[in-house]
Amino acid sequence: MNVSGLNFILVGVLGLLGVGLYGLMVTRNLIKVVVALQILVKAALLGLILAGNLSGAVNLSQSLAITVIVADTIVAVIGLSLAVQIRRHLGTLDVKALSHLRG
Amino acid sequence: MLHMLLLALVAVVFALQAIKTERLITSAMWLAGASALLATLFYLMGAPQVAVIELSVGAGLVTVLFAFAISIAGEELLDLRPTLPQALSISLTLLALALMGAFSLPLQAGPAAATEPALTQVIWEQRGLDVLVQVVLIFAGVLGLLGLLAEAKAPLAYPVAEEVAARRERELEELQPASELVEEAV
Amino acid sequence: MAAWLVLLTIGIPWLGGLCVWWLGDQRAGLQHRVASAFAVLGAGVSLGLLRFTSPDVILRIPLGSAFGDFTFVADGLGVYLAIIATVVGGLAVIFSNDYMQGENQLGRYYALTLLFIGAMAGLVLSDSLLLTFLFWEITAFCSYALISFHNDDPKAVAGGIKALIITQIGGIGLLFGAIISYVYLGNYQIHLFLQGVDALPPVVLAWAAFGFLIAAAAKSAQVPFHTWLPDAMEAPTPISALIHAATMVNAGVYLLARFFPAFEAVPGWRLAVMLVGLVSALLAAVMAIFAGDLKRVLAYSTISQLGYMVYALGTGAVFASQFHLLSHSLFKALLFLCAGAVIHAVGTRDMFEMGALRKQMPFVYAVFVIGALALAGLPLSNGFFSKELILEYGLAHGPFWAYAGMLAGVGITGLYSLRMLWLVFYAPAHSAKQVHDAPAAMRLSLSLLALGTLTTWLLLGPFSAVLAESLPYHALHAESTLAGLGQVLSAWPTWLALAVVLVGMATWFLRDRLAGLAEPLQSVLAFIQDGFGFEWVNRQGVRLTNGVASGLQATQTGLLGWNVAYIVGGLILLLSLILWGS
Repeated sequence: MNVSGLNFILVGVLGLLGVGLYGLMVTRNLIKVVVALQILVKAALLGLILAGNLSGAVNLSQSLAITVIVADTIVAVIGLSLAVQIRRHLGTLDVKALSHLRG
Repeated sequence: MLHMLLLALVAVVFALQAIKTERLITSAMWLAGASALLATLFYLMGAPQVAVIELSVGAGLVTVLFAFAISIAGEELLDLRPTLPQALSISLTLLALALMGAFSLPLQAGPAAATEPALTQVIWEQRGLDVLVQVVLIFAGVLGLLGLLAEAKAPLAYPVAEEVAARRERELEELQPASELVEEAV
Repeated sequence: MAAWLVLLTIGIPWLGGLCVWWLGDQRAGLQHRVASAFAVLGAGVSLGLLRFTSPDVILRIPLGSAFGDFTFVADGLGVYLAIIATVVGGLAVIFSNDYMQGENQLGRYYALTLLFIGAMAGLVLSDSLLLTFLFWEITAFCSYALISFHNDDPKAVAGGIKALIITQIGGIGLLFGAIISYVYLGNYQIHLFLQGVDALPPVVLAWAAFGFLIAAAAKSAQVPFHTWLPDAMEAPTPISALIHAATMVNAGVYLLARFFPAFEAVPGWRLAVMLVGLVSALLAAVMAIFAGDLKRVLAYSTISQLGYMVYALGTGAVFASQFHLLSHSLFKALLFLCAGAVIHAVGTRDMFEMGALRKQMPFVYAVFVIGALALAGLPLSNGFFSKELILEYGLAHGPFWAYAGMLAGVGITGLYSLRMLWLVFYAPAHSAKQVHDAPAAMRLSLSLLALGTLTTWLLLGPFSAVLAESLPYHALHAESTLAGLGQVLSAWPTWLALAVVLVGMATWFLRDRLAGLAEPLQSVLAFIQDGFGFEWVNRQGVRLTNGVASGLQATQTGLLGWNVAYIVGGLILLLSLILWGS
């Protein structure tokens, strides 16, 4: 794996990171927020495997990536169930409206 | 290397589409596609095991979760403009990316690749604590899920509860004229 | 052995705090006794350290490269300050048995007091700047928590927060010095700092020196950071005696004394220290003349006496300042505890509502007189000898105008001491209430402190010997007790100072005749009573902070998009700084 090829992967990591951050800044739907978080985590995973390639410790980066996947799946689970309950009890998934609601 | 660049760029495009689309379910589909492309990328970079896991979890499990949640929560098709001005968010993102790129590109080669133990050995022997942490996380996640999705308790079907509730209502009614008297006195 | 003693000196009070808290407020009587037992035990252990004083590191806890080693040194300066902390702490805890009788939340009170005692002992015994900073912050927290102990009283809470904020500004100075030490010398050890101080470039050393001066001034309530101490008098009186008279406010003087050999060569530093001491001594003494609250008078007198110690350090008299620190801890704790007994009996802190207590509280009256004698600097009390030492050294080694100012301060000190004594005990009675004299536990603490006040001047010889042999960088020399006392008694400045004190006291008796002089000064009186303008500065600072905070409130939108935008903005800022710096 020559290093120059991996530069493109870094571009990919940065691109995904940018899309995820842009999504967090722009979206107003709570479920879209979870989607944006997932994209950010995918960027992190790609970066992790990239780092493993660069330093030769691919297996170590793989095991760390597995841990990250487990954690981020739990995040998605909790986030989505939160979204479902909010929709049920408060009636809306709009982030802006939710920040104004009291109680 | 071209196919890796292509895969990476298409993954970014898919992710962008996931953000930009207005319908939630298509957003989840785009995310699944990006996940699949990323899994292929992982495989091409010499990490086949995590590629498999990413494919099954990211493109499979999480997408099913999204579909579930969206079907229960329902789509909200309101015209929601972003909270920030578009120009500000795009410029901030691009600026941050440019700086990060200036910071880390071009990539330096790392130290010479020493022979690494096999993946199973790494997971179970070197990073055994991580496995324990993952188990705890999953446990916590399940508990959280159960707690969050528990239905609000239905009122008890026992007559005692109804009696208590009825007595409380009567007390409240009795307090009403008293509070009116107080208001008049004040 | 010495290492164990150090650990026990810090650990026994901390363990006692845990035990008292664990006992629970239901068993208040047991809490009183357990707290007293642990405090006294801690005092005994610290006295044992006297046999082991040496300038070497006796305990080293390695913590990796980022934090350096946490080391402890039991040299004379540290040991005797630890003894003061634990002994006066023990006496204050014994006093609290009666003073806090029937109060709620004793667990919180005793736990915080014992935590404080242990942390103070650790502060002076530590040799690592980072560890010193850690203990410094713990004492600041305990001070805040104890000042606002009666947390349903808004004045107490306000006083606590004011004390916390001002002393924390000082803490930044200390942290700054610690970081400088690490960056230039590679470690946090104080003895290595004193040894290798020439390795620092002069500008950096000057920054460190003035940073430490600010830290010491804020902690020891010197001008311009003195405004927190009078408001801290909302604390229960044993706490005022312990923290704000005998121990925590000494931490600043301790810091200056310990780092004196490193900073004395910095141009302008000694002059700055002298000025800070002089201005504090005079300003606070003047304000003590006009204060009506008994504890406030004592607070101002604390600021003033600390000013004497700081002035002494500025002239180079390290031993004299530490000797006065010893005397002051004892007699100021004595005065505060007496004030506590009086306030507990009468129910008010306002001196103009007291009076004629001489007949009703003879024991408290007797020990109060002893304390007032020491404060004014009259013979046979330890205050006399230590103050005279400071004045003599100041005359010989410092500028004359500073000596003249301090001499005037001595007279003013005599004046307000007599005023305080007279208003509380001799003035005509304002209420016909019958008050009781101090109960047993209070009497025990008071009598021990009075005994100390009358006798610790005899320790001049052994004290100077211990300091001289365990502080290798300070260039102190030992003196025998007789020689030192003889020197004090035979020098003419001593008798001059005594005369000034008597003049000051006489002014009190002549106050009716001098009232005519005071007429045109009435407008100035309001200015003086508002702290010579320093309280105004405080208020402006608070207004400014509140204004900026209200203005910045608009950025707290609570919307996800904006928060993420701030995160990305912060990231951009950070990356730009790194890229620009590299």
